[in-house]
Amino acid sequence: MSGRAAFEERSAWRWVRGGGLVVAALVLVVWTILPFFWILITSLKEPRDMLSVPPTFVFRPTTENYEAIFIGRQRGLYASARPDFPRFFVNSVIISSGAVVLSVVAGVLAAYALARYTFPLKEQLAFLFLSFRFAPFITFLIPLYILYQRLGLYNTYLGLILAYQLITLPFTIWMLRSFFMEIPLEVEEAAKIDGCSWWGVLTRVILPLSLPGVAVTVILGFMFSWNAFNYPLMLAGRQTFPVTVGAIQFISYEQVLWGQMAAASLVAVVPQLLLSLLVQKYIVRGLTMGAVR
Amino acid sequence: MARRRPEQLVPYVLLLPAFLLLIGMLYPFCLGLYYSLTSYYLQYPHLFRVVWLGNYLALLTEPVFVYSVEFTVGYALVAVVIQVGLGLAVALFLHARIPGRSVLRAMMLMPLMMPPVITALMWKIMMASTNAGILNYGLSFVGIGPINWLGAVNSAMVSILIIDTWGNLPFVALILLGGLQSLPGEPYEAARVDGAAGWDVFRYITLPLLKPFIILAVTFRAMDALRIFDVIYATTLGGPADATMNLHMRAFFYAFQWYQMGTGMAYAVVLLALVFAASYVLMGYWRRAAERTAL
Repeated sequence: MSGRAAFEERSAWRWVRGGGLVVAALVLVVWTILPFFWILITSLKEPRDMLSVPPTFVFRPTTENYEAIFIGRQRGLYASARPDFPRFFVNSVIISSGAVVLSVVAGVLAAYALARYTFPLKEQLAFLFLSFRFAPFITFLIPLYILYQRLGLYNTYLGLILAYQLITLPFTIWMLRSFFMEIPLEVEEAAKIDGCSWWGVLTRVILPLSLPGVAVTVILGFMFSWNAFNYPLMLAGRQTFPVTVGAIQFISYEQVLWGQMAAASLVAVVPQLLLSLLVQKYIVRGLTMGAVR
Repeated sequence: MARRRPEQLVPYVLLLPAFLLLIGMLYPFCLGLYYSLTSYYLQYPHLFRVVWLGNYLALLTEPVFVYSVEFTVGYALVAVVIQVGLGLAVALFLHARIPGRSVLRAMMLMPLMMPPVITALMWKIMMASTNAGILNYGLSFVGIGPINWLGAVNSAMVSILIIDTWGNLPFVALILLGGLQSLPGEPYEAARVDGAAGWDVFRYITLPLLKPFIILAVTFRAMDALRIFDVIYATTLGGPADATMNLHMRAFFYAFQWYQMGTGMAYAVVLLALVFAASYVLMGYWRRAAERTAL
């Protein structure tokens, strides 16, 4: 084969390969973005545009659905009861924050013990915490439901915050442990030689050095709590529903309020999309409990 | 008696708060195991009695139980194969030097932190059974459909898989991409010197080195696919005709629709046993693979 023919063949191959990559990139973008795009469109439609065949792409956008879920105004009329959705949003903030605060206080101490001390059954204890990440929630939900009815914890913030520990505590301990283990031992030993007690080492050396890691753990823990659906589905009531359970309330036997459900879903994920920008680099680490750096 | 140095007690003091919470988790868990051995109707507490393995034996005669075990395991197998396969393809694609790679990578993070139930609701809107749904409308241009996505037996299973894949494909892809980026350069240099190229390099160098990451992705995906709940709850509720009724949904129905807590817990324990058997096997693989490649 002459050099020229080989060159032409190679450049033709390069075009095919380049074209393939562009198509693949387009498929990936459409696949990922389409649901977000469509839910945004749906949330801006009036009910009569909602189920038209074929779907309308050009329509007069309306904020009616957002007004309905936030201030209870529909077709110029106000509902007799205040809408629940703003309350669900506040509930999510309260429960998620509470769950994270409790987990971080207990988790910092436990993670430090598991990272730096040796004691009998240490690894077994660590793996016991990890196993909660894999256990089906229903094994806890059924007995918790029965217990909460008896103890008066059903439909309370405290009850939900305690139940959410099943999600946030194992995550917090494993994540913080992986951050603490990254700090060189020498730093700690130097502090001990300078006369720091174990409490001093933890509060004046370990925590300041791993502050970014603690911040990442707090944000990711908050996001995992925000996503929780199973526990509040049965342990919360109308007064304490978070947004995840709130969004599904737009489906009833009589009808599905598509527009309002779309608007509520979109509002429910705004905090997630904003927070994930902050912790981009750590999301995979968080989802694998610190296993993948 | 030898006196312990106070320093030795420090880890126990540190662990105390977490330990109290741990007891708070283990107590309901043990209570649940006990309930699985009882006949417990929430509405008729006076009928409460211990039936030992009665609930478990009754499961074996229930056709839906057998189906839900098959569906749970089958779904997990199919989901893992498809999601890890596609995830590997996406990871290799994002690893190639293409313009806009960092934008694509950031975009992949968007589905990742979505509440699964909201993901399901988003797709439910797109999967409307008439041509009002964007998916059926799109397919109508290539002469397919309209598909009754969530309303027919076979398509409902596929629909659940599609929704689950949308939410979790980025997880697999990003783990494997991280793996690809951490691979050492030397084996590739050696392969080039030996004249190996393309498929051989991928098959004999990339795949073996990537193995611990693949096993990790498989482990996490298998665990979550076995106990998938939110997506099914928000879309099909186990229907149509129990086609998407996995063990998790079935346990939920027994406990919170029919208030038979004992049978519900028996279902839950079977699911738990499945999950732990799978995690035991997969964790073993992972430890061995990680040791061999010193991850």
